[in-house]
This record gives sequence, C-alpha cells and structure tokens, in this order.
Amino acid sequence: MPALVIDHLVKTYGDVRALDDISFTVEAGELFGFVGANGAGKTTAMRIALGVLRADSGTVTWDGSPIDLARRSRIGYMPEERGLYPRMKVGEQLVYLARLHGMGRADAERAMAHWTEVLGVADRRDDAVEKLSLGNQQRVQLASALVHGPEILVLDEPFSGLDPVAVGVMSEVLRGEAARGVPVIFSSHQLELVEQLCDRVGIVRSGRLVASGGIDELTALERPRWTLEADLPAAWTPGVPGVTAARVSERMWSVEAADAAAAPAVLASAVQSGRVTSFVPNRPTLTELFRDVVAEPEGEAA
Amino acid sequence: MIWLIARREFRTRALSKASLVTSSVMIVLIVVGALIAKPFLESDGDAETIQVASGPTAALAPYLQAVAAAQGTDVEVIEVVDPATDALDEGVAAVLTGAVTQPELFVDSADDAVVGLVQAAVQAAALDAQVEALGGDPAQVSQALAGSTAAVIVLGDADGFDSGEFFAGFVVILVLFFVLVQSASVIMMGVVEEKSSRVVEILLATVRPSTLLGGKVLGVGLYALMQAASLMLPLVFAAVYLDLLGSIGISVGALLLNFSVWFVLGFALFTVLFGGLAALVSRQEDLGSVTTPMMLLMMVPLYLAIYLVPNSPDGPVTAGLTQVPFFAPFLVPMRLAFDAISPLEVASAIVLCLIAIPLFVWLAGRIYAGAVLNTGGRMRIADALRRR
Ligand SMILES: Nc1ncnc2c1ncn2[C@@H]1O[C@H](COP(=O)(O)OP(=O)(O)OP(=O)(O)O)[C@@H](O)[C@H]1O
Ligand SMILES: [Mg+2]
Repeated sequence: MPALVIDHLVKTYGDVRALDDISFTVEAGELFGFVGANGAGKTTAMRIALGVLRADSGTVTWDGSPIDLARRSRIGYMPEERGLYPRMKVGEQLVYLARLHGMGRADAERAMAHWTEVLGVADRRDDAVEKLSLGNQQRVQLASALVHGPEILVLDEPFSGLDPVAVGVMSEVLRGEAARGVPVIFSSHQLELVEQLCDRVGIVRSGRLVASGGIDELTALERPRWTLEADLPAAWTPGVPGVTAARVSERMWSVEAADAAAAPAVLASAVQSGRVTSFVPNRPTLTELFRDVVAEPEGEAA
Repeated sequence: MIWLIARREFRTRALSKASLVTSSVMIVLIVVGALIAKPFLESDGDAETIQVASGPTAALAPYLQAVAAAQGTDVEVIEVVDPATDALDEGVAAVLTGAVTQPELFVDSADDAVVGLVQAAVQAAALDAQVEALGGDPAQVSQALAGSTAAVIVLGDADGFDSGEFFAGFVVILVLFFVLVQSASVIMMGVVEEKSSRVVEILLATVRPSTLLGGKVLGVGLYALMQAASLMLPLVFAAVYLDLLGSIGISVGALLLNFSVWFVLGFALFTVLFGGLAALVSRQEDLGSVTTPMMLLMMVPLYLAIYLVPNSPDGPVTAGLTQVPFFAPFLVPMRLAFDAISPLEVASAIVLCLIAIPLFVWLAGRIYAGAVLNTGGRMRIADALRRR
C-alpha cells in the first residue's frame, strides 16, 4: 500500500524553528487530520510536502520515491492563503489549472463540469472569481484542488469560512476521495469536525508532532475518567490507590484514575457510601486532548 | 506547459477590452490620418498651371516648359483665348499675355517662384531671337551653355551628420524602448498580480518557477509583438502611401528586419530580468520601487545610442559597448542606420546576446523562485538569491 511519508523534516526561519524534526505517515485511502496551535508549523509542513518550500533537511516520499515535479502535479493542493486569478472566469480557470496539471482539453472540461456541479458552483462558471462570495470562492478553490483527479490531497484549512451545508458537502467529498484510495491530509482548527471525519490525527506543537494516531487510540491514551452521579457525603473519597475524585456539583463527581482497571473498585466504594444513579467513562474530546497536549509545559510556544 | 501559460497571458491581454479599443483606435487614427493628409501633402508637388494667351504669347510656352524642366519644377502650360486677368481662375498660378519679349505677367504675389521661371523663359526666348537674327543656331548655343558647368569639389567633412539616417535609427530604438518598457511593466504587473492574489502557490505546486516566468514573458512578448505590428503596419502603410520614406532613403524592409531582430533579443534580455525583479515586491503599490530603477536603467543604453552613436558611429567605445548584451539592442540598430557597423560586429553582438539570454533567464529565475513566495515587504536581491 503506497503511503505519503514525511520523514524528519526540519525547517528554520532565522531563529524560529518552524519544523523541528517532524515525521508522520499518511496511508493511501486515509483521512489524516493535522491540528496544532497557530504557528505550530502545519502550513510549513504542508508546503514542504508540496515542494513549494524547501526543507533544511528531511524527506517527503510517496510510494517510496521522493516527490518530483511529475509526481507533484498529481497532488491536489489547497493553500492556506487562497489564491485564484480574481478576474478569470471560474470555468476557464479550472480548465486552465487542470491542463497545467497535464490534462487534455476535453478531460479538463469534463472534470470542471463535474466538480463545479458537485460543489454547487455550476451556475457561476461564467462569472469572474472575484464576483463570488468568500464561501463560494472557497468551493472553487477546492474544485481547483480536485479538478485534475489528484492521487494525493493536501488541504490547508479547507473548512474555514464555509457554511454548515458546504462543510457537509466538503466532508462528503473528502470521504469519497479517501474511499477512492487517495491519502487526504488536511489541517483544521475545527476539532469536532476533525474528530468526526478523520481516521487519524496528528497534533503538532512548536514544529514537533506531539501526538498522533486514531482518535480512539489518542483519547484512550489519556488518564481514564468517569463521571459519577450519586448521593454521597461531601467528604467521600474512593479509597482506591491512584484514584482521585472531585465533586463537580451537588450529585456529580469527576473521577480520574491511572488505570482503567480501577473502575470496579471505585464503583464498589461509591455504592457502599450512597445511592449511585450513573457511572460512565468519560472519553476526552479531541478539544480537551488538544488543550492538554498544547498546554503541557515544554519549551516556549512559537 | 510553457505554451499553456503563454497562451493564457496572451489571451488575457489581447482580449481585454482596453487593449482591443486602444489598438483599433490607433490603427484607425493612423490610416484615417494618412488618408486625410495625402491631399494636403500632395498639393505641394502639384503641377502649377500657367495660362498663356493665344496669339504671339503662345510662342513662350515651349520656353516655359524647358525652364521648368531644367529647374525640376512641374509646370502645366495651357493656351487660353483671352484669359481672365482681373482675378486668377481657380487653380491657376499665373497668366501671361502680350508680346514675346515684353509680356505681362499676372500673379497673386510678386515673390511667387513662377515669376523667376517666366523671367528666365522670356530671356531664353529673347536670346534665341537674337542668336537667330545674327545667323547662329540657337540649338548649338543652348547645348554649349548646358555643357559648360563647373565641377564641384567639397572640402568639408564628407561624413556630415545625416538627419535621415539618424531619424530612421532613432525611430527604431525609440519604438523598441517604449515597447520594452511597456511590456516589462505588463509582465511585472502580472507577476505581482499572481503574487498578491496568491495564485502562485498553486501554480508553483505543478510548474517550475522558470517555466512560469518564461511562459509569461513569451505570452506578453507575442502580445507586444502583435501590438507593435498592429502599429507598425499602418505606419508603414502611411509612410509608403504618403511617400515619406523616399526622402529618408532607407528601405522599409531593412528597417523592419532591424527592428524585429533586436526587438526579440532586447525583449528576452530585459523583460525576463524585470519579471524576476518584480517578484521582489508583493503589492502593486510597491511596484514603483522596482519599475523606477528599471526605467532609469533602460535609459542608459537609449541615451548612449542617441548621443554616442551620431558623434562616434564607429569609435572604440561605441564598438566596445556594442558587444555588451545590455547595450547591444539599442546600439546596433542605431549604428546600422548609420551604416557604421560591419556584418561581423552585428553577428558577434547577436551571438553574445544569445549567450547572455540563458544567463539572464537563469538569474531572473533564481530571483523569481526565491522571492515569489515571500510575502510582506520588499525583498532584497541577495536574500532572494539565497532563499529556497
Ligand atoms: N516566511 C516566513 N518567514 C519567517 N517565519 C515564518 C515564515 N513562515 C512561517 N514562519 C514561522 O514558522 C512557524 C510555523 O508557521 P506555520 O505557518 O507553519 O504555522 P501554522 O501551524 O500553519 O499556523 P496557523 O494555524 O496559524 O496557520 C511560525 O512560527 C511562523 O512564524
Ligand atoms: Mg497555517
């Protein structure tokens, strides 16, 4: 199975270490969410993967070989700072971009018709891009990344500025592309969306990948937590080693343990002390995970 | 790939309303101007009509014609019975009546050229009459007169300043200069437009920077060539139609060939370089910081061609600078117009330019590649070269 391998990338801007030895792999057919605080290095990493920026060291390979110009033209790219010719017509522009990626005229026309249809901008084909609303320009931008039938998709914040309907359409499109066997890597600050959409997530901080893996895997790695709903004395403690409990409200307790195996003992202790109405494991959301990982003290934030 | 880019550049420029309107207005202006100017310019060269009264005066007609031919003026002599003498008829320059030796001449003003012509004709007629009265042969006399001319030997500088040659060379390099400046600005604006609208980033994801720059230069170049042609052709038409070139003595073909060769070479040299430099800035407003030095830089060879060449068409400094690619596109056409350059010099100047072009392209490509993804303020050339 071919994979996009980002291997030990380093990039510095003067004193700023934008990428500090970052490595990760995106398999074919996988949706990879790339998250991190502002200035963490997401855009830098994606630009290097695309070859529009050169790394100080490290390599990017696809299917074992470095990404050269021929291969690069098989990538669909949506840059962070959106860009199209403002005065060129939507249809003309998409056909032009498809042909720059090596498509024949007829194929390019067909692909343009298809993607403007799918992304809901078919009736704007003959309008200059600058006449479209921001969200619609965004749709055209995505169409420009897809129009040449790319083998790899690299999208820098594709969801910013989209209305909920467009987010739905775009998500469907990305799922469809992944199902076609395309590795899709995209960055986003909309973590709920990333959580729903992605197979795997990578969290960057200060140019380093601090966590990566499947959502389940990542959230399970954290200290297990439960929410306990019970009538208990205010001074109640679980009395199990390594387990802490904090009273959140009158009947709500938040329990945290070093190990998930502590659950039965905690529940037993609670049942002994009062009436328990519910005891549920509390998976952290990606947002919480992100906060934890990013807030961890280590070096200075970029 | 490079053609796709060139085609887009060409089409967006050529099909823009402003461009179409300007071009057609210019063409119409030139052609209509020529059509309107023609009668006025020609009235000068028109034959002057002299009316000669029938009767004794008519004997002067052959003399008038002979004198006019000798002076190289066109005169039409018409014999009229009882011509109007109180006011000249429409299109008539003079009316002649009375005896052959003492005719009366009616003209609008006394300093008309026609007065001298009639005077000479009357004297010639009188001379013939006297010669005949003395028993001589008037034909022999006039032959002797025609045969006795002084040989003229000019002692001054034979290579005097030739305004016709200067004018022809001047027009070529001036048009070249304006076309280059205009195209360079178009290319620079295009580069900055791509940069400020940030399309470059998706373009560069699939196209090499040098290909992108090259396609731009090619497309705009073809457009500029077409535009220049759309101005040159009506101009040449006007010049031929109005018979202006005859007086300059330079053939249109040579002028155009001269122009096109150096247009292509100069275009490649200058616009590629300026396209690369344009990538240093990020916004149209900052373009001035690159275009102003560019204009000044291009004026150097222009002024050298205008001031140096006429003074020293084949001096060592001129000859040396001719071989420097940066100056050649302006110096060579000028020296060619002065006919002060050997074919060998032209050939070597062309070869040197052809060698310099890839170097310029490489340099410009480096600057462009290094600077084109940089956003923010103006970048320094050295930084751009180091970048990436
Ligand atoms: N052209 C540049 N010159 C200097 N420093 C740069 C440049 N581009 C990026 N950086 C620095 O590199 C670091 C990483 O930037 P990058 O744009 O990759 O962050 P990001 O993760 O995409 O952030 P965001 O979420 O805000 O888009 C930042 O510290 C930034 O200041
Ligand atoms: Mg970014």
